[in-house]
Amino acid sequence: MSNTTQNFDAVIIGGGHNGLTAATTLARKGHSVCVLERSSVLGGMMSVGGAEAPSFTSRLAHLLYNLNPKVERELGLRLNARNLTTVSLAPNGEHVEIDGGKARMMDGALHPKAVAFATLQTRLQRFATLLSRLSLRTPPKLSGSWTDPETFGELMGLAGIGLGLKGMGKVEMREFLRALLTNVHDLMVDDLDDGPLAGAMAADAVRGSFSGPKAPGTLFSLLYRLGNGANLRAPVGGMASAVAAFEDAAARAGCVIKRQSAVRSVLVQGDRVHGVELDDGTVIHAKAVLSSIGPQATINLAGIQHFDVEIARRAKNLRAKGTAGKLNLLLKARPEFSGLPAPLHQARLLIAPSSDYVEHAFNPVKYGSFSEAPTLEILLPNAHTPETPQTLSAVVGYMPHDPPGGWTDALRTKAERQIMAVLEAYAPGIGDRVQHSELLTPTDIQTETGAAGGHWHHGEMGIDQILNVRPINGMAHYQCGVEGLYLCGASAHPGGDINGAPGRNSALQALKDGAL
Amino acid sequence: MGQHDTFDAIIAGSGHNGLTTACYLARAGLRVLVVEKNDWIGGAAVSRSLHDGWTYSNCSYVCSLLRREIIRDLELPRFGLQVIPYEGGATFTREGDYFAYYSDHDALNRELARQNPRDVDAYERFSQAVMRQCRFIRPFLLRTAPDPTSLKPRDLSELLYLVKKANDLGARELGETQRFWTMSIADFLDEHFESDLVKAHIAGGGIIGTGLGVYSPGTAYVLLHHYMGDVDGTIGAWGFARGGMGSITQALAASFESSGGTIVTGSGIDQFLTKGGKVTGVALENGDVYHASVVASNMDVRRTFINHTAESDLPSEFVTAVKRFKTRGSSGKINVSLDRFPTFPAAPDGARFLSGDMHCSTSLQELEKAYDDWKVGRWSQEPYFDMLIPTQIDPTMAPPGKHMMTVFVQYAPYDLEVDGVRSPDNWNETQRQAFATCVFDKMEQACPGIRDHILHAEVRSPYELEQEVGLTEGNIFQGELTFDQLLFNRPVPGYAQYRTPIDGMYLVGSSTHPGGGVMGAPGANAAREILRDVGKGQAMPVYTD
Repeated sequence: MSNTTQNFDAVIIGGGHNGLTAATTLARKGHSVCVLERSSVLGGMMSVGGAEAPSFTSRLAHLLYNLNPKVERELGLRLNARNLTTVSLAPNGEHVEIDGGKARMMDGALHPKAVAFATLQTRLQRFATLLSRLSLRTPPKLSGSWTDPETFGELMGLAGIGLGLKGMGKVEMREFLRALLTNVHDLMVDDLDDGPLAGAMAADAVRGSFSGPKAPGTLFSLLYRLGNGANLRAPVGGMASAVAAFEDAAARAGCVIKRQSAVRSVLVQGDRVHGVELDDGTVIHAKAVLSSIGPQATINLAGIQHFDVEIARRAKNLRAKGTAGKLNLLLKARPEFSGLPAPLHQARLLIAPSSDYVEHAFNPVKYGSFSEAPTLEILLPNAHTPETPQTLSAVVGYMPHDPPGGWTDALRTKAERQIMAVLEAYAPGIGDRVQHSELLTPTDIQTETGAAGGHWHHGEMGIDQILNVRPINGMAHYQCGVEGLYLCGASAHPGGDINGAPGRNSALQALKDGAL
Repeated sequence: MGQHDTFDAIIAGSGHNGLTTACYLARAGLRVLVVEKNDWIGGAAVSRSLHDGWTYSNCSYVCSLLRREIIRDLELPRFGLQVIPYEGGATFTREGDYFAYYSDHDALNRELARQNPRDVDAYERFSQAVMRQCRFIRPFLLRTAPDPTSLKPRDLSELLYLVKKANDLGARELGETQRFWTMSIADFLDEHFESDLVKAHIAGGGIIGTGLGVYSPGTAYVLLHHYMGDVDGTIGAWGFARGGMGSITQALAASFESSGGTIVTGSGIDQFLTKGGKVTGVALENGDVYHASVVASNMDVRRTFINHTAESDLPSEFVTAVKRFKTRGSSGKINVSLDRFPTFPAAPDGARFLSGDMHCSTSLQELEKAYDDWKVGRWSQEPYFDMLIPTQIDPTMAPPGKHMMTVFVQYAPYDLEVDGVRSPDNWNETQRQAFATCVFDKMEQACPGIRDHILHAEVRSPYELEQEVGLTEGNIFQGELTFDQLLFNRPVPGYAQYRTPIDGMYLVGSSTHPGGGVMGAPGANAAREILRDVGKGQAMPVYTD
C-alpha cells in the first residue's frame, strides 16, 4: 500500500465534461488541479467505455446539442463537428425535415404548417436566449437584505432579464409568462396539429426526463435545450473525439489527470475539506474539492455526519429516475429507411411520429416497464458510405431505471426485440444487417457513469428542481455543505446535457469564495 | 317587454360566483338583474330532488373553500346557510383493511402509527409544509392578480406586494414554495410518507377535477384547494351545507333579493349585446332583451365569448387565446338514493370516519393508471372516487332511515372514445350505465352488496355537466388549474383582472383568478373591479391578511 501524499489547490472528482471544464477553468487561473476518474477512460456520459467495451465511437451521448458556446470559447476546445438537420420519421413515409425553423417534406415542399412552425420556433428561440442568460451565473440566493451588495447584484441580474422581457413588448412578454410553465404538447398541438413535427419537438423536450409531453413545465426543458442556439452538432469521429478535445484543453491548461483513481473518501476536518483519499490509500491534499457525481454520492464520500439532517434527507429525495437508454448497433451496411432520400440518412433521425406517441411511450415507464413503441433518436455516422460497415447509435426513450426484478437478461432481450421491431418498421431489413448490438439501460448507465439513477441530467430538470433549488433546496450555489466542497456536475445549475456551464460556474464560485 | 328592462348591471348565470358579484353590486346600491337559463338557480352549487323524498347535491358536494369574508359580508348565515363539519374520511383496501383520516390529532397519530410508525412524524412535517403554503396563498385569493406587463401604479403595487410576501418567506422557504407549486403530488408525498395507503389517501386531493395525473408536475399545488378552506374558522376543515350545496346559492339569492336584486330564470343568454365596443345588454333565448351598461358573465370564458358574443366584437388574438384556454373535463358524478345505510365490513362499529370522504384507491400507481385511461378518452378502469353519505350528519336530505350518497369520480373523459372515435355524443345511456357499473364494481371494496340498496342513481358524465350546468367540456373549475392558467394568466394573459375587451363587460366565474371550487373569490374580486369602474370602489373592503 503506497500511502503517498500529494498536494493540489483543487481536486476534481469525476472526469466527465463538467469535471474537465471545472478543472480547466481553475487551472487557467493558475491553480494546480488534479482530476480523478474512477474508470480507465474519461468522459462520463460522453465516455466510449474502457478496453472491455465494444468499440463504438459514441457509446452514450452522441450529440453536442447544448454545449455552452462561452464554455467552448473559454476552454479553447478544438472540436471538429458537423451540423445536422433533423428528420422526423412518419410511419406512412411522410417524413419531415427540420432545419432550425424550416420544416420541409421529403420532396422539398414546405410542410403545411411551415409558417406556423417558423413563427413558433423564432419565438421559442427568443425566449430561450433570454433564459440562457441565467445559465452562466450562480442562481440568486436572495437571502440578504435589499441593500446587501451581493443581493443587490443578483437583483440587478434579474432586473436585466426583466428588462429583456419588457423589451419584447407586451404581447410577447405575456406569451413568455404563459408558455414558460406550460406543457410542450399543448403548445405544439395548438399550432401544428399532432404529427411528426409536433412529435419531434415533444421528444426533444422530454428526452432523458421522467415526464411525458403533456406534463406541465415540459416546455421549459425544450427552452433549456434551445438556450445555446440549438445547433445540432455531431463530433466527427464520434464522442471519443469530443472527449479528447476536453482532455486536450485540460492538459494544455496544466491539469493532472489520473484515471482508475476512485475516491474512497473526501477528507473533512472541522467542517472544512482538506483533500481526498483514494481506494489505494493515496491521500491527495487540496484546499477545494469539486465533485461532479451528484449530491448524495458526494455526501456519502465526505461522511453524512458532516451534513445537516435536512440537507441529507433532501439529497436522498433528489428526483433522478433515468429514462434514457442507448442502443448501439454494428451493421454490415447502411440501413435503408423507407421514403428517406440517401443524403438524409446523415441527418438526425427521430422516431416520434406524434406528441401523443411520445406521451404513450412514457406511460409504461411510470410502472417500471418498457413501451412497445419507444421513441428513438438515431444517428448513422457513416451513412455517407452506404456499402461499408456502419454503426447505428440510438437514444431510446423511455426505459425504466428500476423494472420490478431488475434488468434481467430476458428483459433486456425483450426490450431489444421491441426496439428492433420499431426500427424494422421504418427501415425494413435492418435486422438482417446487424452484426453486433449493445443495449445500455439506465441501470447500466448508472453503473458506468455513477450518475444517480442513470439519469441523463444527473437529476430531473423539472421546475421544482432547477435554478435556486437545483439540485436541492439549500445546496443551489455549488457549495456542498462543507467549506471547500463544491458540486460541479450536471446535477448543479443550470443542469444536464453536454453543456459545461455547471463545471465552469462551480469553478468560478469556488474562486469567488476564496476557497483556493 | 315590461318596463323593468333596464338595469344598472346584469349578471349572466346564477352560480355561486355570479350571485356573489350580484350581492356585492346590489349592496352598493346598483339595480341588478341575474338571468339564469335553467328553471332553478345555483349553477354547480345546487340541491335537486330527482327522486321522491331525496335531495341530491348533484354537482359540487362539500363545502370548505367559501371565503369567510364573503359569508360575513353577505350575511349568509342570516339567510339560511349552515355548514356542518365532518371529521374524517377513509380509504378501503381490497384486503378488507382501511386507512382512516381523523381531524382529531391524537386519533390520526394512532391510525398513522398503525400504518407505519415513521409516518406519524412524516405527517407533522407534511402538514406544516402544507399549512405554510396555505398561509402564503390565502391573502392572494381575495386580491386581483397584478398584470406583470403593466406599469400602472396599482399593478406595480400589487406586484410589489407579491414580491414582498415572497421575500418575507426567506430564501429557503421561497425555494420550498417554488418546489411545492411546481412538483407532482406523488413526488411531494414520496418525500414524506412511506405507507402507500396513506399516500394514496392524500393524493386524491391533488387530482380532483384536473386533467393531470398524480405524477404530473403542478398537482401538489392543487392539493392546496383541499387544505386552504375552513369551516367556522377551522382551517382545512370540510363540511356539508345543510340541505345540500344548493343552500349556499339559495342563501346568496336571498341575500341578493333582500338588497333589492331581481332574478329571472328559465331562459339563457342568446347574445351579449354591444355597440361601439361597449356592452349594452343581453338578448335571451326567449327573445327578451335587457339593457345595462355593466354586464358580467358567470359562464366560463369559452362559453361567454365563443358561444354568445359576436366574434367581430373581439380582437382576433383574444379569440385565439380563449380558444386555447384548456377546459378539458375529467370528472363524473353519481348521486345515489339508498334504502338503508350500507355496511362497511372493514370499519369498526360506529366509526366516525364513515361520515366523511371515502375512497378505494390504494396506491399512487393505481391513481396514475386511472389517469392513463382518461388520456386516451376512456373512463378509468380502476377509478378514483370520493364518496360521501351526508345524510348521516344532515338527515334533511332523505326520508327517515334512508340515505343519500354522493360519488365524485375521477377520471371520466368529455370526448369519450368508442370504436376509435372520440366524441361527447358517445355518452349515451348504455355508456353511462357501463361507467356506473365500473364505479360500483370498485365500490364493492368498501361496501360489498351496495347495489342491493340502490333505489335510484343519477349518472353524470362531463357531457351532462356541460349540457345542464353550462361548464364547457364539463370542466368543474371552468378551466384547468395548471400554472399556465393561474394568476395573471387566468383566463387569458392581459385580461386577468375580470375586465374583457368589451367595455363594461366582465367575467366573474371560476375561469378567472383564483379559479374553481365553491370559493366565491372570483365573484367578489370581480365585484370590486366593477364597483371601482362605476365609481363606487369604496363600497367594498380590501381584505388583507
